[in-house]
This record gives sequence, structure tokens and C-alpha cells, in this order.
Amino acid sequence: MKEKFKLTLCDGPSCIHNQSKEIRAALEAELSQHGLADQVSIHLSGCLGMCKQGPILIVNPGFTMYGKVEVADIPNIVKSHLVEGSPVAEKVIREDHLYNRFFRIFGDVDFFGKQMRITLRNCGIIDPENIDDYLSVRGYEALAKVLTDMKPEDVVAEVKKAGLRGRGGAGFPTGLKWEFTANQESDEKYVICNADEGDPGAFMDRSAIEGDPHTVLEGIIIGGYAIGASKGIVYIRAEYPLAIERLEKAIAAAKEHGFLGDNILGSDFSFDIEIRLGAGAFVCGEETALIHSIEGSRGMPRPRPPYPSVSGLFGKPTLINNVESWANIPVIVLDGGDWFSTIGTETSKGTKVFALAGMVHNTGLVEVPMGTTLREIVYDIGGGIPNDKAFKAIQTGGPSGGCLPAEYLDTEIDYESLAKAGSIMGSGGMIVIDEDACMVGLAKFFIEFTQDESCGKCTPCREGTKRMLEILTRITEGKGKEGDIEKLERLGHMIKNASLCGLGQSAPNPVLSTIKNFREEYEEHIRDKKCSAGQCSALLSYVVNDNCVGCGACKRICPVNAVEGTRKEKHVIDQDKCIRCGQCYDVCKFDAITKA
Amino acid sequence: MVTPIDIIKKKRAEAVNRIISKGYLSTKRVYVGMATCEIAAGSKEVMGEFRQAIANGLTDVYLSQKGCAGRCNLEPTVEVVEEGKIPVKYGKVTPERAREIVERHLKKGEVISEWLI
Ligand SMILES: Cc1cc2nc3c(=O)[nH]c(=O)nc-3n(C[C@H](O)[C@H](O)[C@H](O)COP(=O)(O)O)c2cc1C
Ligand code: FES
Repeated sequence: MKEKFKLTLCDGPSCIHNQSKEIRAALEAELSQHGLADQVSIHLSGCLGMCKQGPILIVNPGFTMYGKVEVADIPNIVKSHLVEGSPVAEKVIREDHLYNRFFRIFGDVDFFGKQMRITLRNCGIIDPENIDDYLSVRGYEALAKVLTDMKPEDVVAEVKKAGLRGRGGAGFPTGLKWEFTANQESDEKYVICNADEGDPGAFMDRSAIEGDPHTVLEGIIIGGYAIGASKGIVYIRAEYPLAIERLEKAIAAAKEHGFLGDNILGSDFSFDIEIRLGAGAFVCGEETALIHSIEGSRGMPRPRPPYPSVSGLFGKPTLINNVESWANIPVIVLDGGDWFSTIGTETSKGTKVFALAGMVHNTGLVEVPMGTTLREIVYDIGGGIPNDKAFKAIQTGGPSGGCLPAEYLDTEIDYESLAKAGSIMGSGGMIVIDEDACMVGLAKFFIEFTQDESCGKCTPCREGTKRMLEILTRITEGKGKEGDIEKLERLGHMIKNASLCGLGQSAPNPVLSTIKNFREEYEEHIRDKKCSAGQCSALLSYVVNDNCVGCGACKRICPVNAVEGTRKEKHVIDQDKCIRCGQCYDVCKFDAITKA
Repeated sequence: MVTPIDIIKKKRAEAVNRIISKGYLSTKRVYVGMATCEIAAGSKEVMGEFRQAIANGLTDVYLSQKGCAGRCNLEPTVEVVEEGKIPVKYGKVTPERAREIVERHLKKGEVISEWLI
């Protein structure tokens, strides 16, 4: 039977409180009474951001939204709308929010239904290279509104009211930063968009720019107006050619329409944006290093204060925010700071974009309200762990963050809760780890990265990360010593306290959090010279067991001729010759090789 | 006095008209993912198939690119959206699948359910 309607019922906390579960039951009963059960599917969404009007029921096609739905309304809605084809007008709500536009196309897919999209609202539904598409979804209306009705201080007040915090990692209140910069007296000020995105595996900012560059531009222009700047700079890594190309096109189109340049939209506000390319050093994402890089100096950080808001680019007051922070601004202006502050938790408002990766079924970009639990992300959106493996940990914050084990799955995500649990929000990297991963090896991977990216200006970071890497390397090679764990902890705390910039101050986090939560794995590597996850190749041995039929496949593939045996008889592996590459294990069709 | 809001409203109306005149409301809209991730998964070739079909005479289609919606492991993704119908979302679209989408969905209106996201 062909599907005629897709219904989406809000399954957010407020709507559940207002009986959305009972409504669902009533819907199912009513549908089967009309014999419609196999022509109508019911999907559940996360909070749709309209709690005051909840419970919300959406009927597709047509994207008809019903508000304040009660169980008693269901028979009428089913009969009139689904059977007779005419929506129940008095229950329909018409709202033209900016956020959640993607929902009209993607709302019925589980992966998307549980998300709320503010910054990525247009990604995947408009043509990013056609400014007409952006204009058609109320593009640049926020800018026009600001220029028509709002004084710069009103804009700052709106952002403060929204409760937005910086999405680049540290979570500093955006409105406060705007206020500091706006209050500086200066003949010249700058606005910078940080699109350096250096966390390995993170691609939130790239996708945001590639999918909807005008939103970011609009945010930056509004920021320039709010603080009294006339020049904006997007600092983006040269490794993002497509994002750069789309930004360039977007800037050109915005200029043509008079959204950039002199006397924007006929007002007396003039503003321009240019692009600066970074060479892809992690430390250049740090704001003072980034500013040095734009100035043409070596990308090294300097101590703060003074903060960029007081003395930034070329010594002038400078407002620097992350791509995702900027993309929130048009929504805050049009949907309102009041509305924005209803989304999220007490201390953290709005949504956060995560690049969900690792051992989950559905990898990809996920934008969820603050306060969503890790479990909802991993299981409801991510679809759980493939191959029936067990969940082991979740890594957030990339090389500056930490690993949280299963007991934190019900943590409601916000800046404070993640920090309390021993990790950080970070810029949005999120890696799901299953039972096959070795936590010592994972910590070593991140320290290798930060050690390599350390700019070398301060000793704790330069030397300290190197020493930590040496210790971790010997642990993974079976040469760990008693006291190594304590040494790592002592070093880690020292580096955190004494480093010049955020790179060093956070570099030990992956090690410290894995020691805190998976100490026994470190002990096992050191004392028993064993890696239960079977990842540290130096600690493994491959042995032929009795399943062997003597086919000779392992003997043929072994690159160092460590396998001996005659055809049709059990083979043996010479442990002295074996380099533990694992090729015999992979090639064996009879499960005849044991990895231990 | 003409305010920035007045200007933007006019610009929006013009933009909407331009889009509609290209068949936005009257045709099947086909969106092909063209972000770095989608292109890496092969979406340029998929886009090429749809362009080719149009060059070969396929009509009543509004072909557009789009950014990444975030469904990375099912890329390349393609949506077919028609006014008054449930939007159709295809995943892992290869050039072969694109050709079939042209033949079966765009020409005959059949939704190919095995490839839905
Ligand atoms: C080592 C290091 C790397 C950073 N990389 C980035 C980055 O890639 N993107 C970013 O937006 N912020 C990055 N930051 C944070 C910036 O210093 C700064 O706090 C941020 O751009 C401010 O914007 P926000 O308040 O909107 O988050 C980094 C910080 C450190 C210490
Ligand atoms: S919980 Fe349903 S709209 Fe918020």
C-alpha cells in the first residue's frame, strides 16, 4: 500500500509532559479504525522549539503544523485532514521561524527528527551558490531589521539576552564579548570569523560554510554593526578549497546586492569582508596566534590580557568568534533572544553541532539542543554501535578533550556538565569508541597530535608533551615501568597549569581522562604487558590453534616467512620472527589463528 | 523613506520570482549534495548524470546543488521534492542509481523505496 501521509509528533520533554504519548496512542487507534494504519506513518521528533504551543503534530505532505493538540482533537484531525483532505484550520499554527527549516524536507528521518537545527538550518536544503535561494528563506532580513530598527547597543543586548556562548571551544558568553569590544573607544575595530577548524576529524565549520555561506556572512556583518567595525576577516584554512570558493562567491554576490560595501541597504553603515588563508596549523586557531598570522607574523600565541577585544588585530579592538557562533546570529535577531534562551539548559543556550564519528551506525553532522544526553546522540541519532559491539567510551573535544565511559551516557550535554565529567564541549568533535579500542593507544594518538602541533614557544607544552609521548610510547610497547602512571599525572597537571595558551593547557586532557576512567588498562599494559583490546601490536602474539587445516594461506601471506608447516598439517608461527602485522589473522578462513 | 526592511522585502520577492520562473513550484526539484564530503563520495558524477538527462531532453525538472545535510555515511544523497508530496530522500546514489532515478522516478513518478534514507 502506498504511503499517503507522514505524521511527525513532537517527543520533546515539554510535549511529553503535555501528553504527546497519549496522543500517539489515540492516533494509532483512530488510524486503524479508519483502516489507514498502513498508509500513514508516525514519526517522533525531538523538541521543535515551540513548547508553548505544544504538543505539536506535523502532517506531511504540506507541512501542516497543529499546535496544542489534545487527545480529543485526534478523531477530527484524522477524519477531516487524513480522510477528507481538509486540514482542521482552527488547530493549525502558522509560524515562519528561521530555525528548523531543514525539517520540512528531512523531519521524517529518525537521524534528523531528533535534531534541532539553528546554525545548519539551510544546509542541505538550499543551493549555497545561489543568493536567491538564501534570500528566499528570509536571508539578510536579520541584517535589514538590525539596520532599520535596532541601535548597535540593542543588538548587543539581544545577543546577551539569548545567552549564546562561543562555539569555538571555550564557551565564553558571546554577548559579553560583543559588549566589551563595543565599549572600546577606537578609530578602527575589526571583526574576525575563526574558520581555522584544526581539531582532527572535525568538519562542522567547513560544512556550515559550504552549505550556507551567507548565514555566516550575515552574522559577521551584524557583528560589525554592533561593535562599530568597518572591516571583517574570515580566517580559513587553505585546505578547504570548496568552502573558500563558496565564500568568495557569496561575498561577491552580497556586494552586488549591497549587503556589503558602502552604505549597506541605504543606511549609513559601511562594512567589508575579506578572506585570509591559514596554512593549517592547529595553534593558529587560537585567537592571539590567529591574529599574529593575519598580521604576517609567525602564528604563535601571546599571553592574555590584553584580550583581543581590547587590543587585537594591529593593536585595535577586535571581535573574534567561531563560524558556528556567527551562524546563530541571524536566528537570534529574527526569532528573538527570548526564544533562543528557551532552548538548552540553565547555563548553556541554543544548540551545538557535533561531528559524530567512530563506531556508530549513522555518522555525520548532528545539531542538537544543549541538554540532549550522550545516550540520545549515540543511540537515537547515531543508531547505536555496529556489529553488536559494546559501547566503551565517547570522546569529545578532540585533542583538548577527554573520554567518558558508559556511566556518563545520561549526562545532559552542556559546557559545565562535560567539564565536570572530565571532558570538554570543545568545538564539536565526537568519537564513539567500542570495546575494541585501546584507551592508552587513543591517548597516545592525541598527544602525538598536540606534541606535533605545539608551537614551541613555552617550555611546559613543548617539552612536557614530548615527555608524555615518550612515556606513552614505552607503555604501548610493553616497556612501561611502575610509577609511569603517576608520572603522567604529575606532568599532565604541570603542563595544564604552566602552559601559555589553550593548546598546552588542554593537551594533557585525553591522557588524564583516560587514566581517570580507564586506569586498569594502563596498569595492564605496564604490569602484565598486555593489551586486552588487541591494538598495541608490540604486546600481541599470534598463535595457530587446532582449527588449522594446513591450507597454507597464512604461510603464503606472511611477509617475513614466520609461518612454518607442511600442507594439510597444523602450522606454527615462529614468535621470534613474527612482526605482528596481523595479515595471517586476516587471511585465515578457519578462525585458526588466535590473537592474544 | 525606504527602509532596509523595505529593500530586503523587495529583493526577496524578486528572488522568489526568479526561482519560481525556473520551475520551482511546477516541477520535480532534484537536489544533489555537493559539499566536499559528498563530492568525495562521488556526487559530481551523479550531478553529471542528471545534467546529461536534461541535455537529452528530460523536462519538468528543477536541478539544484545543495550543501551537506549531515548524513555522511549514506552519501551521495539526492532529494526529489514536489509540491504537495512527501519529499523523497535517496542515499548512496551512484551514477547507475541516478540513471534509474531519472527513468523511474522523474519520468514515471515511481518512488524507488529500496534506496530511501
Ligand atoms: C590550540 C587552540 C586551537 C583553537 N582552534 C580553534 C578553531 O579552530 N576554531 C575556533 O573557532 N576556535 C579555536 N580556538 C578558540 C579560539 O582561541 C577562540 O576562543 C574562539 O575563536 C573564540 O570564538 P567563540 O567565542 O565564538 O568560540 C582554539 C583555541 C586553542 C587554544
Ligand atoms: S517539547 Fe515539543 S516543542 Fe518543545
